[in-house]
Amino acid sequence: MTTRTLRRWFVVHKWTSLVCTLFLLTVCVTGLPLLFSEQIWDIFVGDDDPPYEVLPPGTPNASLDVIVEKARALYPGQIITNVNPDDDEPAVLVSMAPSWQALKDDETYPDRHSGHWIKFDARTAKVLEQSRPADAPREPRTWTGIIMSTCNRLHTSLFAGLPGRLFLGLMGGVFVASLISGTVLYGRFMKRLPFGSVRRDRASRLTWLDLHNLLGAATLVWATVVGFTGLVNELQTPLFGLWRVTDVRQILKPYANLPVPLQDHLSSVQTAFDTAARAAPGNEVTGLSFPGASFGSPVHYVLWTRGATPLRARLFTPVLVDARTGELTGAYPMPWYLRFLEISRPLHFGDYGGMPLRILWALLDVVVIGVLVSGLVLWAGKRKIATDARLRALGYDLDDTDGVPALAERA
Amino acid sequence: MMNAVSPEKPMPFPPVSASRSSVAVWPWPIALGLLTTFGLLSALLGQHGIWLALSWAALSIPLIVTVACLIRAWRRTPSFKGGQS
Repeated sequence: MTTRTLRRWFVVHKWTSLVCTLFLLTVCVTGLPLLFSEQIWDIFVGDDDPPYEVLPPGTPNASLDVIVEKARALYPGQIITNVNPDDDEPAVLVSMAPSWQALKDDETYPDRHSGHWIKFDARTAKVLEQSRPADAPREPRTWTGIIMSTCNRLHTSLFAGLPGRLFLGLMGGVFVASLISGTVLYGRFMKRLPFGSVRRDRASRLTWLDLHNLLGAATLVWATVVGFTGLVNELQTPLFGLWRVTDVRQILKPYANLPVPLQDHLSSVQTAFDTAARAAPGNEVTGLSFPGASFGSPVHYVLWTRGATPLRARLFTPVLVDARTGELTGAYPMPWYLRFLEISRPLHFGDYGGMPLRILWALLDVVVIGVLVSGLVLWAGKRKIATDARLRALGYDLDDTDGVPALAERA
Repeated sequence: MMNAVSPEKPMPFPPVSASRSSVAVWPWPIALGLLTTFGLLSALLGQHGIWLALSWAALSIPLIVTVACLIRAWRRTPSFKGGQS
Protein backbone atom coordinates (compact mmCIF):
# COMPACT_ATOMS: atom_id res chain seq x y z
CA MET A 1 0.00 0.00 0.00
CA THR A 2 1.47 3.32 -0.99
CA THR A 3 1.66 6.22 1.38
CA ARG A 4 -0.84 8.05 -0.75
CA THR A 5 -3.44 5.25 -0.53
CA LEU A 6 -2.83 4.98 3.15
CA ARG A 7 -3.38 8.68 3.62
CA ARG A 8 -6.62 8.44 1.67
CA TRP A 9 -7.85 5.64 3.91
CA PHE A 10 -6.90 7.75 6.88
CA VAL A 11 -8.90 10.70 5.57
CA VAL A 12 -11.89 8.40 4.95
CA HIS A 13 -11.63 7.00 8.47
CA LYS A 14 -11.25 10.42 10.04
CA TRP A 15 -14.21 12.01 8.30
CA THR A 16 -16.63 9.09 8.40
CA SER A 17 -15.89 8.71 12.11
CA LEU A 18 -16.22 12.42 12.84
CA VAL A 19 -19.54 12.59 11.04
CA CYS A 20 -21.13 9.72 12.94
CA THR A 21 -19.40 9.69 16.34
CA LEU A 22 -21.76 12.05 18.15
CA PHE A 23 -24.84 10.18 16.92
CA LEU A 24 -23.24 6.80 17.56
CA LEU A 25 -22.47 7.84 21.13
CA THR A 26 -26.10 8.89 21.59
CA VAL A 27 -27.33 5.61 20.16
CA CYS A 28 -24.89 3.51 22.22
CA VAL A 29 -25.77 5.24 25.49
CA THR A 30 -29.56 5.25 24.97
CA GLY A 31 -29.43 1.65 23.77
CA LEU A 32 -28.22 0.43 27.17
CA PRO A 33 -31.48 1.05 29.11
CA LEU A 34 -33.52 -0.11 26.10
CA LEU A 35 -31.76 -3.50 26.26
CA PHE A 36 -33.17 -4.03 29.74
CA SER A 37 -36.47 -2.19 29.32
CA GLU A 38 -38.62 -5.16 30.36
CA GLN A 39 -36.67 -5.57 33.59
CA ILE A 40 -36.65 -1.81 34.24
CA TRP A 41 -40.42 -1.61 33.85
CA ASP A 42 -40.92 -4.60 36.12
CA ILE A 43 -38.69 -3.20 38.84
CA PHE A 44 -39.70 0.45 38.85
CA VAL A 45 -43.30 0.40 37.70
CA GLY A 46 -44.48 -3.15 38.20
CA ASP A 47 -47.66 -4.73 37.02
CA ASP A 48 -50.81 -3.65 38.84
CA ASP A 49 -53.15 -5.77 36.71
CA PRO A 50 -55.47 -8.05 38.68
CA PRO A 51 -54.21 -11.64 38.83
CA TYR A 52 -55.68 -14.21 36.49
CA GLU A 53 -58.32 -16.58 37.76
CA VAL A 54 -56.78 -19.95 38.58
CA LEU A 55 -58.40 -22.58 36.39
CA PRO A 56 -57.52 -26.25 35.98
CA PRO A 57 -54.73 -26.69 33.42
CA GLY A 58 -56.01 -27.49 29.97
CA THR A 59 -59.13 -25.34 30.31
CA PRO A 60 -60.04 -24.54 26.70
CA ASN A 61 -60.24 -20.96 25.51
CA ALA A 62 -63.62 -19.36 24.96
CA SER A 63 -64.65 -18.87 21.35
CA LEU A 64 -63.47 -15.53 20.03
CA ASP A 65 -66.99 -15.00 18.70
CA VAL A 66 -68.30 -14.93 22.29
CA ILE A 67 -65.67 -12.34 23.22
CA VAL A 68 -66.46 -10.23 20.16
CA GLU A 69 -70.19 -10.35 20.99
CA LYS A 70 -69.51 -9.24 24.57
CA ALA A 71 -67.41 -6.33 23.33
CA ARG A 72 -70.20 -5.26 20.96
CA ALA A 73 -72.75 -5.50 23.75
CA LEU A 74 -70.60 -3.23 25.92
CA TYR A 75 -70.36 -0.55 23.24
CA PRO A 76 -73.38 -0.90 20.96
CA GLY A 77 -73.08 1.11 17.75
CA GLN A 78 -69.27 1.10 17.86
CA ILE A 79 -66.99 -0.89 15.59
CA ILE A 80 -64.33 -3.42 16.47
CA THR A 81 -60.99 -2.70 14.83
CA ASN A 82 -58.68 -5.48 16.07
CA VAL A 83 -58.75 -8.72 18.02
CA ASN A 84 -55.38 -9.72 19.49
CA PRO A 85 -54.82 -12.79 21.68
CA ASP A 86 -51.92 -12.11 24.06
CA ASP A 87 -48.57 -13.85 23.41
CA ASP A 88 -47.89 -15.20 26.85
CA GLU A 89 -50.92 -14.44 29.00
CA PRO A 90 -54.40 -15.99 28.76
CA ALA A 91 -55.91 -12.72 27.57
CA VAL A 92 -57.52 -11.31 24.43
CA LEU A 93 -57.35 -7.62 23.62
CA VAL A 94 -60.28 -6.21 21.63
CA SER A 95 -59.76 -2.72 20.15
CA MET A 96 -62.79 -0.59 19.35
CA ALA A 97 -63.65 2.85 18.00
CA PRO A 98 -66.79 4.88 17.25
CA SER A 99 -66.12 4.44 13.52
CA TRP A 100 -63.28 4.07 10.99
CA GLN A 101 -63.82 7.71 10.08
CA ALA A 102 -63.31 8.76 13.72
CA LEU A 103 -59.96 6.95 13.75
CA LYS A 104 -58.95 8.63 10.53
CA ASP A 105 -59.88 12.03 11.96
CA ASP A 106 -57.65 11.35 14.97
CA GLU A 107 -54.65 11.71 12.70
CA THR A 108 -55.47 15.38 12.11
CA TYR A 109 -56.13 16.08 15.82
CA PRO A 110 -53.18 14.80 17.84
CA ASP A 111 -55.06 15.28 21.17
CA ARG A 112 -57.97 13.10 20.16
CA HIS A 113 -57.90 9.37 20.80
CA SER A 114 -61.20 7.83 19.84
CA GLY A 115 -59.84 4.26 19.85
CA HIS A 116 -60.01 2.23 23.07
CA TRP A 117 -59.56 -1.37 24.17
CA ILE A 118 -61.04 -4.05 26.38
CA LYS A 119 -59.01 -6.91 27.83
CA PHE A 120 -60.82 -10.23 28.24
CA ASP A 121 -59.80 -13.43 29.98
CA ALA A 122 -59.27 -15.79 27.04
CA ARG A 123 -60.76 -18.75 28.90
CA THR A 124 -63.77 -17.28 30.72
CA ALA A 125 -64.45 -14.34 28.35
CA LYS A 126 -64.76 -12.07 31.41
CA VAL A 127 -63.70 -8.43 31.13
CA LEU A 128 -60.39 -7.98 32.96
CA GLU A 129 -59.52 -4.40 32.22
CA GLN A 130 -60.40 -1.47 29.98
CA SER A 131 -58.40 1.42 28.62
CA ARG A 132 -58.88 4.75 30.34
CA PRO A 133 -61.76 6.71 28.86
CA ALA A 134 -60.63 9.46 26.53
CA ASP A 135 -62.13 12.19 28.73
CA ALA A 136 -60.55 10.94 31.98
CA PRO A 137 -57.68 12.97 33.39
CA ARG A 138 -54.38 11.71 32.02
CA GLU A 139 -52.41 9.38 34.17
CA PRO A 140 -49.40 11.12 35.71
CA ARG A 141 -46.23 10.06 33.93
CA THR A 142 -43.67 8.13 35.91
CA TRP A 143 -39.98 8.97 35.80
CA THR A 144 -39.33 5.54 34.36
CA GLY A 145 -41.78 6.28 31.57
CA ILE A 146 -40.23 9.64 30.81
CA ILE A 147 -36.66 8.32 30.79
CA MET A 148 -37.47 5.22 28.75
CA SER A 149 -39.49 7.07 26.14
CA THR A 150 -36.78 9.73 25.84
CA CYS A 151 -34.16 7.02 25.32
CA ASN A 152 -36.36 5.24 22.83
CA ARG A 153 -37.06 8.30 20.72
CA LEU A 154 -33.45 9.49 20.83
CA HIS A 155 -32.29 6.00 19.87
CA THR A 156 -34.64 5.51 16.93
CA SER A 157 -35.35 8.96 15.54
CA LEU A 158 -33.63 11.75 17.52
CA PHE A 159 -37.17 13.07 18.21
CA ALA A 160 -37.49 13.83 14.50
CA GLY A 161 -39.88 11.17 13.21
CA LEU A 162 -39.28 9.65 9.81
CA PRO A 163 -36.57 12.15 8.75
CA GLY A 164 -34.77 11.37 12.02
CA ARG A 165 -35.00 7.64 11.33
CA LEU A 166 -33.62 7.99 7.83
CA PHE A 167 -30.88 10.28 9.09
CA LEU A 168 -29.85 7.77 11.77
CA GLY A 169 -29.96 5.05 9.11
CA LEU A 170 -27.54 7.13 7.05
CA MET A 171 -25.32 7.50 10.12
CA GLY A 172 -25.38 3.71 10.46
CA GLY A 173 -24.08 3.48 6.89
CA VAL A 174 -21.35 6.03 7.61
CA PHE A 175 -20.44 4.05 10.74
CA VAL A 176 -19.99 0.88 8.67
CA ALA A 177 -17.73 2.85 6.26
CA SER A 178 -15.72 4.08 9.22
CA LEU A 179 -15.35 0.49 10.50
CA ILE A 180 -14.10 -0.70 7.12
CA SER A 181 -11.56 2.10 6.75
CA GLY A 182 -10.54 1.59 10.36
CA THR A 183 -9.86 -2.08 9.64
CA VAL A 184 -7.61 -1.16 6.70
CA LEU A 185 -5.63 1.25 8.88
CA TYR A 186 -5.41 -1.35 11.64
CA GLY A 187 -3.84 -3.82 9.22
CA ARG A 188 -1.25 -1.27 8.19
CA PHE A 189 -0.24 0.00 11.60
CA MET A 190 -0.25 -3.16 13.64
CA LYS A 191 2.44 -4.68 11.41
CA ARG A 192 5.16 -4.50 14.03
CA LEU A 193 3.07 -4.57 17.15
CA PRO A 194 1.78 -7.81 18.67
CA PHE A 195 -1.99 -8.00 19.06
CA GLY A 196 -3.33 -6.38 22.16
CA SER A 197 -0.24 -4.44 23.18
CA VAL A 198 -1.04 -1.20 24.93
CA ARG A 199 2.08 0.93 25.21
CA ARG A 200 1.95 2.90 28.41
CA ASP A 201 5.59 3.87 28.76
CA ARG A 202 5.50 6.41 25.96
CA ALA A 203 3.38 9.36 24.96
CA SER A 204 -0.17 9.08 26.24
CA ARG A 205 -1.31 9.52 22.66
CA LEU A 206 0.14 6.09 21.88
CA THR A 207 -1.75 4.59 24.81
CA TRP A 208 -4.99 5.99 23.39
CA LEU A 209 -4.12 4.77 19.90
CA ASP A 210 -3.36 1.27 21.16
CA LEU A 211 -6.57 1.25 23.19
CA HIS A 212 -8.54 2.37 20.14
CA ASN A 213 -6.99 -0.44 18.08
CA LEU A 214 -7.49 -3.13 20.72
CA LEU A 215 -11.10 -2.26 21.58
CA GLY A 216 -11.94 -1.75 17.91
CA ALA A 217 -10.44 -5.07 16.79
CA ALA A 218 -12.19 -6.98 19.58
CA THR A 219 -15.65 -5.62 18.76
CA LEU A 220 -15.29 -5.13 14.99
CA VAL A 221 -17.71 -7.85 13.88
CA TRP A 222 -20.28 -7.13 16.59
CA ALA A 223 -20.24 -3.39 15.84
CA THR A 224 -20.57 -4.06 12.10
CA VAL A 225 -23.51 -6.41 12.60
CA VAL A 226 -25.36 -4.16 15.07
CA GLY A 227 -24.58 -1.03 13.02
CA PHE A 228 -25.74 -2.57 9.77
CA THR A 229 -28.90 -4.15 11.22
CA GLY A 230 -29.64 -0.79 12.85
CA LEU A 231 -29.43 0.81 9.43
CA VAL A 232 -31.82 -1.82 8.02
CA ASN A 233 -34.25 -1.21 10.90
CA GLU A 234 -34.36 2.50 10.21
CA LEU A 235 -35.48 1.71 6.67
CA GLN A 236 -38.60 -0.13 7.83
CA THR A 237 -41.07 2.67 7.06
CA PRO A 238 -40.02 3.08 3.41
CA LEU A 239 -39.71 -0.70 2.98
CA PHE A 240 -43.22 -1.37 4.32
CA GLY A 241 -44.45 1.53 2.21
CA LEU A 242 -42.87 -0.03 -0.87
CA TRP A 243 -44.64 -3.32 -0.13
CA ARG A 244 -47.96 -1.54 0.30
CA VAL A 245 -47.79 0.29 -3.03
CA THR A 246 -46.61 -2.79 -4.95
CA ASP A 247 -47.71 -6.27 -3.85
CA VAL A 248 -50.41 -5.27 -1.38
CA ARG A 249 -52.06 -2.89 -3.80
CA GLN A 250 -52.01 -5.59 -6.47
CA ILE A 251 -53.63 -8.14 -4.16
CA LEU A 252 -56.34 -5.74 -2.98
CA LYS A 253 -57.08 -4.22 -6.37
CA PRO A 254 -60.22 -6.28 -7.14
CA TYR A 255 -61.78 -5.24 -3.80
CA ALA A 256 -60.58 -1.64 -3.52
CA ASN A 257 -63.87 0.01 -4.42
CA LEU A 258 -66.27 -2.23 -2.51
CA PRO A 259 -68.18 -0.72 0.43
CA VAL A 260 -67.31 -1.81 3.98
CA PRO A 261 -70.10 -4.18 5.14
CA LEU A 262 -71.80 -3.59 8.50
CA GLN A 263 -70.04 -5.48 11.28
CA ASP A 264 -73.05 -7.47 12.46
CA HIS A 265 -73.25 -9.18 9.07
CA LEU A 266 -69.69 -10.52 9.07
CA SER A 267 -68.62 -14.14 9.22
CA SER A 268 -67.22 -15.75 12.40
CA VAL A 269 -63.99 -14.33 13.84
CA GLN A 270 -63.09 -17.65 15.44
CA THR A 271 -63.47 -19.44 12.10
CA ALA A 272 -61.27 -16.81 10.45
CA PHE A 273 -58.53 -17.54 13.04
CA ASP A 274 -58.82 -21.28 12.37
CA THR A 275 -58.77 -20.77 8.60
CA ALA A 276 -55.65 -18.59 8.86
CA ALA A 277 -53.87 -21.14 11.05
CA ARG A 278 -54.48 -23.78 8.34
CA ALA A 279 -53.42 -21.41 5.55
CA ALA A 280 -50.04 -20.65 7.15
CA PRO A 281 -48.85 -23.97 8.59
CA GLY A 282 -46.05 -23.63 11.13
CA ASN A 283 -47.18 -20.13 11.99
CA GLU A 284 -49.21 -18.84 14.91
CA VAL A 285 -52.00 -16.31 14.43
CA THR A 286 -51.29 -13.18 16.46
CA GLY A 287 -54.15 -10.92 15.55
CA LEU A 288 -56.99 -9.94 13.29
CA SER A 289 -57.99 -6.59 11.79
CA PHE A 290 -61.57 -5.96 10.75
CA PRO A 291 -62.53 -4.98 7.19
CA GLY A 292 -62.05 -1.26 6.60
CA ALA A 293 -58.71 -0.83 8.41
CA SER A 294 -56.53 1.72 6.63
CA PHE A 295 -53.97 -0.82 5.38
CA GLY A 296 -56.41 -3.61 4.53
CA SER A 297 -59.30 -4.45 2.28
CA PRO A 298 -62.89 -3.23 2.77
CA VAL A 299 -64.24 -6.78 2.77
CA HIS A 300 -61.51 -8.95 4.33
CA TYR A 301 -60.34 -9.89 7.75
CA VAL A 302 -56.56 -9.42 7.76
CA LEU A 303 -54.97 -12.02 10.02
CA TRP A 304 -51.37 -11.62 11.09
CA THR A 305 -49.46 -14.85 11.50
CA ARG A 306 -45.84 -15.29 12.42
CA GLY A 307 -43.26 -18.05 12.54
CA ALA A 308 -43.30 -20.17 15.68
CA THR A 309 -39.51 -20.51 16.02
CA PRO A 310 -37.47 -17.57 17.35
CA LEU A 311 -35.61 -17.18 14.05
CA ARG A 312 -38.90 -16.85 12.20
CA ALA A 313 -40.81 -15.16 15.02
CA ARG A 314 -40.65 -11.81 13.27
CA LEU A 315 -41.50 -13.18 9.85
CA PHE A 316 -45.11 -12.14 9.45
CA THR A 317 -47.37 -13.69 6.85
CA PRO A 318 -50.67 -11.86 6.46
CA VAL A 319 -53.67 -14.01 5.56
CA LEU A 320 -56.82 -12.61 3.96
CA VAL A 321 -60.16 -14.19 4.83
CA ASP A 322 -63.25 -12.87 3.09
CA ALA A 323 -65.37 -11.46 5.91
CA ARG A 324 -68.60 -11.81 3.93
CA THR A 325 -68.29 -15.54 3.30
CA GLY A 326 -65.59 -16.70 5.73
CA GLU A 327 -63.60 -18.18 2.86
CA LEU A 328 -59.82 -18.05 2.52
CA THR A 329 -58.60 -15.58 -0.10
CA GLY A 330 -54.89 -16.28 0.37
CA ALA A 331 -51.72 -16.15 2.46
CA TYR A 332 -49.11 -13.64 1.36
CA PRO A 333 -45.53 -14.16 2.54
CA MET A 334 -43.56 -10.93 2.71
CA PRO A 335 -41.17 -9.97 -0.08
CA TRP A 336 -37.47 -10.68 0.35
CA TYR A 337 -36.57 -7.17 1.55
CA LEU A 338 -39.05 -7.31 4.42
CA ARG A 339 -37.93 -10.83 5.32
CA PHE A 340 -34.38 -9.52 5.43
CA LEU A 341 -35.53 -6.65 7.65
CA GLU A 342 -37.33 -8.98 10.04
CA ILE A 343 -34.45 -11.46 10.24
CA SER A 344 -32.02 -8.64 10.97
CA ARG A 345 -34.06 -7.33 13.91
CA PRO A 346 -33.02 -9.83 16.58
CA LEU A 347 -29.38 -9.28 15.55
CA HIS A 348 -29.83 -5.61 16.42
CA PHE A 349 -31.82 -6.04 19.65
CA GLY A 350 -29.85 -8.95 21.14
CA ASP A 351 -33.09 -10.28 22.59
CA TYR A 352 -32.88 -13.85 21.37
CA GLY A 353 -30.55 -15.53 23.81
CA GLY A 354 -31.78 -14.89 27.32
CA MET A 355 -30.41 -12.55 29.95
CA PRO A 356 -26.74 -13.56 29.47
CA LEU A 357 -26.92 -12.45 25.83
CA ARG A 358 -28.41 -9.10 26.85
CA ILE A 359 -25.62 -8.59 29.37
CA LEU A 360 -22.99 -9.47 26.74
CA TRP A 361 -24.73 -7.03 24.37
CA ALA A 362 -24.46 -4.31 27.01
CA LEU A 363 -20.77 -5.04 27.67
CA LEU A 364 -19.93 -5.03 23.95
CA ASP A 365 -21.84 -1.76 23.69
CA VAL A 366 -19.72 -0.28 26.47
CA VAL A 367 -16.54 -1.38 24.66
CA VAL A 368 -17.79 0.32 21.48
CA ILE A 369 -18.36 3.50 23.52
CA GLY A 370 -14.68 3.11 24.49
CA VAL A 371 -13.71 2.93 20.81
CA LEU A 372 -15.69 6.09 20.05
CA VAL A 373 -14.28 8.02 23.00
CA SER A 374 -10.66 6.99 22.31
CA GLY A 375 -11.16 7.96 18.67
CA LEU A 376 -12.40 11.39 19.76
CA VAL A 377 -9.44 11.80 22.12
CA LEU A 378 -7.02 10.94 19.28
CA TRP A 379 -8.69 13.41 16.95
CA ALA A 380 -8.78 16.18 19.56
CA GLY A 381 -5.13 15.50 20.44
CA LYS A 382 -4.08 15.69 16.84
CA ARG A 383 -5.91 18.96 16.38
CA LYS A 384 -3.96 20.32 19.31
CA ILE A 385 -0.70 19.13 17.77
CA ALA A 386 -1.54 20.78 14.49
CA THR A 387 -2.52 24.02 16.24
CA ASP A 388 0.66 24.00 18.32
CA ALA A 389 2.77 23.43 15.22
CA ARG A 390 1.12 26.33 13.48
CA LEU A 391 1.57 28.60 16.48
CA ARG A 392 5.22 27.62 16.64
CA ALA A 393 5.63 28.39 12.99
CA LEU A 394 4.32 31.85 13.79
CA GLY A 395 7.00 32.25 16.42
CA TYR A 396 5.07 31.55 19.61
CA ASP A 397 6.96 29.84 22.38
CA LEU A 398 4.96 26.97 23.85
CA ASP A 399 5.73 24.95 26.94
CA ASP A 400 5.69 21.23 26.37
CA THR A 401 4.46 20.29 29.78
CA ASP A 402 1.35 18.41 28.79
CA GLY A 403 0.80 14.92 27.56
CA VAL A 404 1.48 15.19 23.84
CA PRO A 405 4.86 16.78 23.25
CA ALA A 406 6.61 13.84 21.65
CA LEU A 407 4.59 13.80 18.48
CA ALA A 408 4.41 17.56 18.32
CA GLU A 409 8.20 17.61 18.22
CA ARG A 410 8.21 15.15 15.42
CA ALA A 411 5.71 17.18 13.49
CA MET B 1 7.68 2.34 3.93
CA MET B 2 6.18 4.08 6.86
CA ASN B 3 9.33 6.15 7.26
CA ALA B 4 8.80 7.42 3.77
CA VAL B 5 5.90 9.50 5.01
CA SER B 6 6.78 13.10 4.41
CA PRO B 7 7.73 14.80 7.64
CA GLU B 8 5.81 18.03 7.21
CA LYS B 9 2.46 16.38 7.87
CA PRO B 10 2.09 15.01 11.38
CA MET B 11 1.14 11.39 11.03
CA PRO B 12 -1.23 10.07 13.64
CA PHE B 13 0.69 6.85 13.80
CA PRO B 14 3.91 6.13 15.60
CA PRO B 15 6.90 5.39 13.41
CA VAL B 16 8.14 2.16 14.91
CA SER B 17 11.76 1.26 15.25
CA ALA B 18 13.04 -0.73 12.30
CA SER B 19 14.71 -3.24 14.59
CA ARG B 20 11.35 -4.83 15.51
CA SER B 21 10.37 -7.55 13.12
CA SER B 22 6.90 -7.62 11.66
CA VAL B 23 4.27 -9.77 13.31
CA ALA B 24 1.20 -11.46 11.89
CA VAL B 25 -1.54 -8.86 12.12
CA TRP B 26 -4.69 -10.80 11.38
CA PRO B 27 -4.85 -14.11 13.30
CA TRP B 28 -6.26 -12.54 16.48
CA PRO B 29 -8.80 -10.20 14.93
CA ILE B 30 -9.97 -12.96 12.57
CA ALA B 31 -10.29 -15.45 15.40
CA LEU B 32 -12.27 -12.97 17.51
CA GLY B 33 -14.41 -12.08 14.50
CA LEU B 34 -15.20 -15.72 13.78
CA LEU B 35 -16.06 -16.34 17.44
CA THR B 36 -18.39 -13.32 17.41
CA THR B 37 -20.06 -14.52 14.21
CA PHE B 38 -20.49 -17.99 15.65
CA GLY B 39 -21.89 -16.56 18.89
CA LEU B 40 -24.38 -14.33 17.10
CA LEU B 41 -25.64 -17.13 14.86
CA SER B 42 -25.62 -20.10 17.23
CA ALA B 43 -28.18 -18.50 19.56
CA LEU B 44 -30.27 -17.33 16.62
CA LEU B 45 -30.32 -20.64 14.75
CA GLY B 46 -29.87 -23.10 17.59
CA GLN B 47 -32.18 -21.57 20.19
CA HIS B 48 -31.72 -24.36 22.69
CA GLY B 49 -29.58 -25.26 25.67
CA ILE B 50 -26.19 -26.08 24.28
CA TRP B 51 -26.34 -23.59 21.41
CA LEU B 52 -27.29 -20.79 23.77
CA ALA B 53 -24.45 -21.68 26.12
CA LEU B 54 -21.99 -21.85 23.20
CA SER B 55 -23.23 -18.46 22.05
CA TRP B 56 -22.64 -16.90 25.47
CA ALA B 57 -19.19 -18.47 25.65
CA ALA B 58 -18.20 -17.39 22.14
CA LEU B 59 -19.35 -13.80 22.64
CA SER B 60 -17.59 -13.56 26.01
CA ILE B 61 -14.19 -14.41 24.57
CA PRO B 62 -13.56 -11.09 22.77
CA LEU B 63 -14.45 -9.29 26.01
CA ILE B 64 -12.22 -11.54 28.11
CA VAL B 65 -9.32 -11.10 25.67
CA THR B 66 -9.77 -7.32 25.81
CA VAL B 67 -9.78 -7.24 29.58
CA ALA B 68 -6.77 -9.59 29.73
CA CYS B 69 -4.79 -7.32 27.39
CA LEU B 70 -5.68 -4.26 29.46
CA ILE B 71 -4.73 -5.91 32.74
CA ARG B 72 -1.43 -7.09 31.24
CA ALA B 73 -0.61 -3.62 29.97
CA TRP B 74 -1.45 -1.91 33.23
CA ARG B 75 0.49 -4.45 35.32
CA ARG B 76 3.62 -4.64 33.25
CA THR B 77 4.46 -1.08 32.43
CA PRO B 78 4.21 1.74 34.85
CA SER B 79 3.02 4.84 33.07
CA PHE B 80 5.50 7.56 32.16
CA LYS B 81 3.07 9.79 30.45
CA GLY B 82 4.66 12.55 28.48
CA GLY B 83 8.01 10.77 28.19
CA GLN B 84 9.93 10.87 24.94
CA SER B 85 9.34 7.91 22.70
